[in-house]
Amino acid sequence: MIQSYESGGPMPERFESLATDLVRFQAATVPGYARLCALHGADPRSLRDPADAPAVPTEAFKLSRVFAFDEREAAAVFRTSGTTTGARGAHCLRDIGTYDAAAVAFGRAMLAVRLPPAVPVLVVGPSASDAPDSSLAHMCSLFVRVFGAAVADEDAYFVRAGAAAGRQASGRDAPALDLEALCARAAAIRSGGPVIVLGTSLALLHLVETVRRAELQLPRGSRVMQTGGFKGRAREVSAPELRRSVANCFSIDERAVIGEYGMTEISSQFWEATVADGQAQPGVYLEPPWARVVPVHPETLIPVASGDVGIARIEDLANVDSAWAVLTQDRVRRVGRGFELLGRTEGAPPRGCSIGLDDMLRGTS
Amino acid sequence: MKRSLDQRIADVRRLLAAARTVFERRADLSPAIARSTGLTPEGVELGFDSLERDASEDQVRELVMAAGEAQGVHVILAPNVFVAPLRALALARAASERVTVRPSSREPILPRAIVDAAGDGAIAVVDDRDVSVLDCAEIHVYGRDATTEAVCRRARPEAVVRVHGPGIGVAFVSSSVDVEAAAEQIARDVVAFDQRGCLSPRIAFVEGPANRGERFGSALHGQLAWWEGRVPRGRLDPTELGQAASWRDAVAFAGRLWRGSAHAVGLAPSGAPLVLPPAGRHLHVSVVGSVEDLAAQMAPLVRFIVAVGADDPRALGEVVPKHARVSGLGWMQRPPLDGPVDRRSLWDAPVTSARALPCSG
Repeated sequence: MIQSYESGGPMPERFESLATDLVRFQAATVPGYARLCALHGADPRSLRDPADAPAVPTEAFKLSRVFAFDEREAAAVFRTSGTTTGARGAHCLRDIGTYDAAAVAFGRAMLAVRLPPAVPVLVVGPSASDAPDSSLAHMCSLFVRVFGAAVADEDAYFVRAGAAAGRQASGRDAPALDLEALCARAAAIRSGGPVIVLGTSLALLHLVETVRRAELQLPRGSRVMQTGGFKGRAREVSAPELRRSVANCFSIDERAVIGEYGMTEISSQFWEATVADGQAQPGVYLEPPWARVVPVHPETLIPVASGDVGIARIEDLANVDSAWAVLTQDRVRRVGRGFELLGRTEGAPPRGCSIGLDDMLRGTS
Repeated sequence: MKRSLDQRIADVRRLLAAARTVFERRADLSPAIARSTGLTPEGVELGFDSLERDASEDQVRELVMAAGEAQGVHVILAPNVFVAPLRALALARAASERVTVRPSSREPILPRAIVDAAGDGAIAVVDDRDVSVLDCAEIHVYGRDATTEAVCRRARPEAVVRVHGPGIGVAFVSSSVDVEAAAEQIARDVVAFDQRGCLSPRIAFVEGPANRGERFGSALHGQLAWWEGRVPRGRLDPTELGQAASWRDAVAFAGRLWRGSAHAVGLAPSGAPLVLPPAGRHLHVSVVGSVEDLAAQMAPLVRFIVAVGADDPRALGEVVPKHARVSGLGWMQRPPLDGPVDRRSLWDAPVTSARALPCSG
């Protein structure tokens, strides 16, 4: 399916057909998924529509193994960030090839589209070798290898252990943004062709608040990927405000600041199409053909009416050996061909002095 | 003029007398409290059991000593644990000759009733006030982090802000107690206020082999079903219902789930990290091999733990955080009136000239 997408050919199989196969395979090989199917009264053998099969909540990745093979066979293990309770979710992949193929195929279409080969790729984050259990670091390193020119790590990754000095000091050995190196690299490539910058919203916001105007001016045609929210940060900024600030910081068009949405528990990513499609609306994320985001009612888990807000049930056929459908607490709404991200489900008042999940998550920051 | 210790004790006792008056006429107040809190009428009646109406001389003296002294206290209350204002008012009045209290807009009924019944000219109920212009020496703020942080940011630099933040309760079922009896007692602690208080147990640690955890989970499920027939759960908001659905599925995936019409009990697999269930009669059961295992499991949660219930509290020894209130199972919601409910700052944060004193009640 991924290869057909890349070549522009017809899809070899229907989404529903592959999804049904995955429901049966995972119910047979992942005991927890069989229990979940039983709880929801879904019999994988007689399933007519995979949408009737339950999704695995992201919390399950913290409590239990969510994969269909012996852990020793894992080619990669990605872990979620920690919580106060010490719970870190783990997503084990038996074959990293599917993840990589999916990331590159859709990343090329949404981020690297119409760029020449081997452009400079700058990561405002750590390398995969510095953060081996981060799926985001893995994806960024993959993009550096596939879309980027061959360079030394210090010319590609700008969050490093021991980098703290001067303006960005945050501890002797803690990974820190090496701002001077980033500015120097930006200056060195300023007169060349377009560049790709990859960073989290938090890292980019830090840049916006720290650097002086024109220090990070990028060549014409450059793109910036921003991903993630603001967990643990007192000040949040709206997506349009961040987009505008990042565009100003790098001296690029606002449409060249492209949002990416992904998570440790899935193998596919979703992208804004503002570069790939001149008509695309900022804030609307598109799915690749092998993944779907379905807004569901938070309690009944039934899909909400078109245009209504629900929590994201992510169906990802690239999650072959783990959970083909994952239930998140992210609020989403279908818009046109894609979906809008509306933030996490917040702990809702009234709650008195009983601690909420969000309070505890905030406590880890 | 500075009050004597006896005068301060008398001021607290006036509030206890007011609480008794309010308790006697609770039938008049309950419908409005049910509407404001979302509890059912039966839930409100059960909650009134936890309203402090008396205390020993030693307990009141201890509360007065814990309160310190201040030239004017402004109290900002939280909703939901609707009986909590009594203790908050007692602490403020013990500390000061001049108290203003701003009830939660969601639950203003009980604090107004207590203040009216007390007839104490030193206490005034006020509407929303800009804390940046308050001239009181102390602000006591109860509620979620977002509320308390906002007050800390806006308060005048000279004001001491005593923060009473969120927390949880945990229960421990030792290997020497009958799990069915323990489940019966813990169920009462879970049902009160639909788990919205920081004294409410959200996690139960069961000592022993895995099958003991299974027996406890099953017994607690039965007890919560029994309570549902007598004290139905109140309304949960859509977010809480969603979090409950997600937590139930996660536990069912990973371990064992017992689900009732308005409660759920989840048994985590051995060695699994803790995943906090949402409030609303949801309990996460974790099996531990020993008291030492309990210490290891609780370690990441220690700063959030306000209350520990146990069948034999003495057996826990040093495992319990010093700041936590320790009580028998079934008594977690009824701590003596001897100081703030949440005693974290009494142990963890020195009372200095720092502006914000975290979690002192």
